[in-house]
Amino acid sequence: MIAFGSSISGAEAYRRYAEPGVRLACEADSEVFAYAAVEPLGRTYNLMLEAAAALDDLEALVLVHPHTEIVDPDFCAKVRDALSDPAVGMVGCAGARGVRSIAWWEAEVVCADVRQRYEEYGGGEIDTVSWARHRAPPADVDSLDGQLLVLSPWVVRNMRFDETLLLGHGFDLDFSLQVRGAGRRLRIIDLRVVHHRSLELISDLEVWVEAHIRMSEKWDAVLADPVGDDMGWKRRARRAEARREAARAIAMSESLKLDARVLELEREFEQKTDSASWRLTAPLRALNQMRHEAAQRRNGDQG
Amino acid sequence: MIAFGSSITKQEVYRRCAQPGIRRVAERDSVIEPMASIGSIFRSYNAILDRFSQRDDLEALVLVHQDAEIVDADFCQIIRRSLDDPQVGLVGCVGAIGVRSIAWWEASVTCASFINRYDEHGGGDLPSFSWAWSDAPAYARVGEVETLDGFVLAMSPWVVRNVRFDEALGEFHGYDLDLCLQVRDAGYKVVTADFRAIHHRQLDMVPDPDQWADAHIKLADKWDGRMGIGTGAGSWKDRALRAEADTEAALMLAHMNALESDARVRDLQRALAETTESISWRMTAPLRWLQQSAPRRRPELTPRSLTKSLSSAESP
Repeated sequence: MIAFGSSISGAEAYRRYAEPGVRLACEADSEVFAYAAVEPLGRTYNLMLEAAAALDDLEALVLVHPHTEIVDPDFCAKVRDALSDPAVGMVGCAGARGVRSIAWWEAEVVCADVRQRYEEYGGGEIDTVSWARHRAPPADVDSLDGQLLVLSPWVVRNMRFDETLLLGHGFDLDFSLQVRGAGRRLRIIDLRVVHHRSLELISDLEVWVEAHIRMSEKWDAVLADPVGDDMGWKRRARRAEARREAARAIAMSESLKLDARVLELEREFEQKTDSASWRLTAPLRALNQMRHEAAQRRNGDQG
Repeated sequence: MIAFGSSITKQEVYRRCAQPGIRRVAERDSVIEPMASIGSIFRSYNAILDRFSQRDDLEALVLVHQDAEIVDADFCQIIRRSLDDPQVGLVGCVGAIGVRSIAWWEASVTCASFINRYDEHGGGDLPSFSWAWSDAPAYARVGEVETLDGFVLAMSPWVVRNVRFDEALGEFHGYDLDLCLQVRDAGYKVVTADFRAIHHRQLDMVPDPDQWADAHIKLADKWDGRMGIGTGAGSWKDRALRAEADTEAALMLAHMNALESDARVRDLQRALAETTESISWRMTAPLRWLQQSAPRRRPELTPRSLTKSLSSAESP
């Protein structure tokens, strides 16, 4: 039996996104653990792991973020197939190899058909982590994206999320490293998923930075090259501080370039809509708009 | 005599940007040295310094990037006033305090009287915070700083005769900070003055990040804590882990900005398409054609006219 779990911090998001996806994907005998979020996230997930571990016929536990919608009707069959290899501990739809930090998307990304749907600026849909070059699944990775994690029964019964990670970021990397440390493989397979999320991917960058540091302290021996003595740390600090300031300058440059591009289009739009002919025909467009709205109302009444 | 020098890698850029500014401000006896680059900026600038160091009548040497245009016609008087103080070694129009690395803009910037004029996406001007003093924030002021942006750099005769750019540091980045540190180390002051310049450059601040990072490290190693360069809070391990996290946060911010910008562009493109594909737009095409055929008035507000109007803005 394949079970599903979600840590619900926003009931509306779960109702709109995760729940329809779970309904689409689940089977007649699937258990669904929809739990109210307890901080930190690892604690809620551990509650689900305890509950799922008690199920004798458990084939997999799928942990779904409330904003993640599974849109793959063959989801369970694909999961079953991937977990038929007992060496596979976890399965996901996005992740990376050569990961050095919680910013897994800066490494070699492997990603299925995962879309990000946003509502800003009239709404739209793009590939998730669209800035990175994606390698198509199936493939083994070092870390999975925590938006969707599929755990094998062995992992459910033997591993636990680290509840000392209080900052909310990096729980997925930590759990991935634990599972790999226990000798199990992490696999990306072709699962179709939509993330319903804002274009502002991280709203608390300062907290994210702290989580990044925390995770480096915990896993540095695994994630980075050995440093050795204080002089080694000095070299690493010098290099890191140089890269940081270059990254900030590049980020600023990119931001200026993007603003210039938007400004150019805004000028073009303003030029067009400020013309005498455009203003002259405004009543026609207003009439047309009214006609459209009336037609929509009529259709609504009939529906 | 106030002399001017430039190291030129692109003649066209010099002719378009630096030359008009130098001509605008140079005095009758000024010597102008537009020198073809002979290697790194460190080396080329040292050659210019050598050229003028023996001049007894030298009042100042102004090094101007080929893409920098000095705006104020009374530039020479402003430089003279600053160098009246014999303790002043260097004068610029962009400077900062609390500087720890070649990324001086990460420190507390006190004066930034310049415009970044770019050509990309139809072109535009980005005035910095003390370009127009009437709009400048409370922290904007002229006076002593730790470093200057080297795009326009006026040097006292003492500096021309006694200090040299450190050619071991690389090709380009950090030459200005290192010079300011040397001058301050020798007991002279580095100051900003009330003149303005236009930096004609692309929006890319660091087109060569690897070279830039190497220069950052070399300079940090050279000064290694002296004059505050290369210092930071915490142990080396703390600093390394924090800087690595900050780097990825900066990249994440860049990704988020790009996503937002792409969404705005798509939204505008949709609106533009709806406009130009509408019946009313197509109906009025002949009107627009007629208007385009008629002689057009020159636009009243161009980046240049804006510069002109801002140049008469209030001074501190």
